[in-house]
Amino acid sequence: MKIKILLRGALTKYFNGEKERIVEVPDGCTAEEALKLSGIDWTKIDNFGFVAVNGMRVMITEKLKDGDELKAYSKISGG
Amino acid sequence: MYGYQNKVLRVDLSKKTAAAEPLRMDWAEKYIGSKGLAIKYLYEELKPGIDPLSPENKLILMTGPMTGTTVPCSGKLGVAGKSPATGTICDCSIGGHAALRIKYAGYDAVIIEGALDKPGYLLIEDDKISFEDASELWGKGCHETEAILADKYGHEYSVLTIGPAGENLCGMACITSDYYRQAGRGGMGAVMGSKNLKAVVVKGTGGVKIPNVEEAVKRILEIQNEDVLQEDNTFVFDWGTTAFLEACQDGGILPYKNFSDTTDPNWTEYNGEVFMEKLEGKRGCGSCGLGCGNFLKIGDAICEGPEYETIAAYGPNAGNRDPEAILKANQVADDMGLDTISSGDVLAWAMEMTEKGIHDFGIRFGEMDTYIKYLEMIAKGEGIGKELAMGVKKLAGKYGGKDFAMEVKGLEYPQYEPRGSWGMSLAYAVSDRGACHMRAYAPNEEVFAASIPPYTPEGKGEMVYKLAQHNAVKFCLCICDFWGTISMETMAELMSLVTGKEWTVEEIADVGTRVINIARAFNQREGFTAKDDTAPKRIFKEALKNGPAAGQKIPEEAFEDMKQQYYKVLGWDENGLLPDSLIATL
Repeated sequence: MKIKILLRGALTKYFNGEKERIVEVPDGCTAEEALKLSGIDWTKIDNFGFVAVNGMRVMITEKLKDGDELKAYSKISGG
Repeated sequence: MYGYQNKVLRVDLSKKTAAAEPLRMDWAEKYIGSKGLAIKYLYEELKPGIDPLSPENKLILMTGPMTGTTVPCSGKLGVAGKSPATGTICDCSIGGHAALRIKYAGYDAVIIEGALDKPGYLLIEDDKISFEDASELWGKGCHETEAILADKYGHEYSVLTIGPAGENLCGMACITSDYYRQAGRGGMGAVMGSKNLKAVVVKGTGGVKIPNVEEAVKRILEIQNEDVLQEDNTFVFDWGTTAFLEACQDGGILPYKNFSDTTDPNWTEYNGEVFMEKLEGKRGCGSCGLGCGNFLKIGDAICEGPEYETIAAYGPNAGNRDPEAILKANQVADDMGLDTISSGDVLAWAMEMTEKGIHDFGIRFGEMDTYIKYLEMIAKGEGIGKELAMGVKKLAGKYGGKDFAMEVKGLEYPQYEPRGSWGMSLAYAVSDRGACHMRAYAPNEEVFAASIPPYTPEGKGEMVYKLAQHNAVKFCLCICDFWGTISMETMAELMSLVTGKEWTVEEIADVGTRVINIARAFNQREGFTAKDDTAPKRIFKEALKNGPAAGQKIPEEAFEDMKQQYYKVLGWDENGLLPDSLIATL
């Protein structure tokens, strides 16, 4: 299935500065797996923040559907 | 100790006298500077129960040992007094260049007492102090006032000024500097207005001594390059706080129509990209390594900002999606010297009151022409603005609508929906100056880092305490909030480099705890207890309808549980009171 991955903040370096990519991932894969297949292993990124699917924050173990928009944020702070 | 000027300028406006006195170094060793040291002075010097708008209140402008050194992001000035909005202690942190100039003039702090008999301003030029007439400035906006004073004195002077909101003793009145930087919350502008003090103008030509200069500056530069200028902080150069809008929307904590819900399906109409396309210029505060300030122009509106808080308050929380209206409202509020958070919440509440038919304030969600007009009327105390200037707590006491009056202790809610970040409801409730997001920024842990589950009371007392302790130290050091990666270790190292005294992480963390305690002790002396650590009924009774936190409301017992956890970790009793043994250590 095809999904769109959007990166925010410091994570854009994993797409060479691009903010989004359409990627092909196996049916039923999780957000975590989709990111890993795109070269983003959140467990190894200290400043990894959270993920959202179609504009809603979810657990990284959330299963994806064809056409989903997966957004990954780096940590932000301030206020 | 190095880093300090060892001197306080004490100004008596009633007698028109000013004299330098030694800084209480015994207090500085326990409270460092800015927030902590200013609160200590106020705790010792203010009589309990005074009227915050009387000459008995004091306004303290407090720097810290790093102010004026090469430590990056250390240009914040602490502004503190007893708040007319809440009756609590209140300290704010204002950017710009005023802190550096006070320090270069030779002072760690300026303590302003009494009141002038007619409008005036205080002129500080190193050790030359004078009281100048401000009758021609009175009534003018912050921007015009600052422009007139800049023309008169030149750009080597910093100006701290109030607008009509401060003159009219509005509890939402700011103190403004560098045109668009504010000591925004709790009505410090009204304290200044009550003293007939239109402005403080300051120039300093001295410097600050630190030990082992060559070695210290080299290490500070390394810290700047390795810590400050890393990508987790530099996003504020590219985006300012507009970056938070998308994260708050996706995280389910962006308030909508007076916190009646969260998330807005049309949020992209006013997201960070929309604003940043209109960028005209950039700037930062004195000693800043990040430069978060964005000058934008949309149509006729021009302003430095808007910050996230203002976008959310004047945008979705007001039922508005027009970026130009947000920027225009921001420009008007800044010129009037009005806190955008509190004014936004008051107007959102008035809109809901009108739409629910409880009381007609003549404004409904999305009516931005009226909104902008009302901002000016609030500041000037004109017509319905005089009513709205009372703040949402007093208004709800008069007209009803208490359940959706979004405030704690009379200070209106910042723009983070607590039902999507339960720890934030605790942070707002126990904050020393009423509902404040700067004391403990819970979304960092519960939403943006997702390291702690957001919809549970478990562990929230400890979490909020740790966040508050960290920020208390940061504010004592005058470090900007946007150096988000700074650790206790780095703060201890910087203190050692600047003061020449070795500081351990434990010692510096203890300062943070002590500051939380003395602020609480001040409020306790004013009669505040656990019953004042509240949350609006809305967050207990109404579940969110949309977004990732849909279905969430905070059970009252969970809220009480979080409060008791917090009190316990600080050694307070069940009523939120410090025992005498703890007070004796302050």
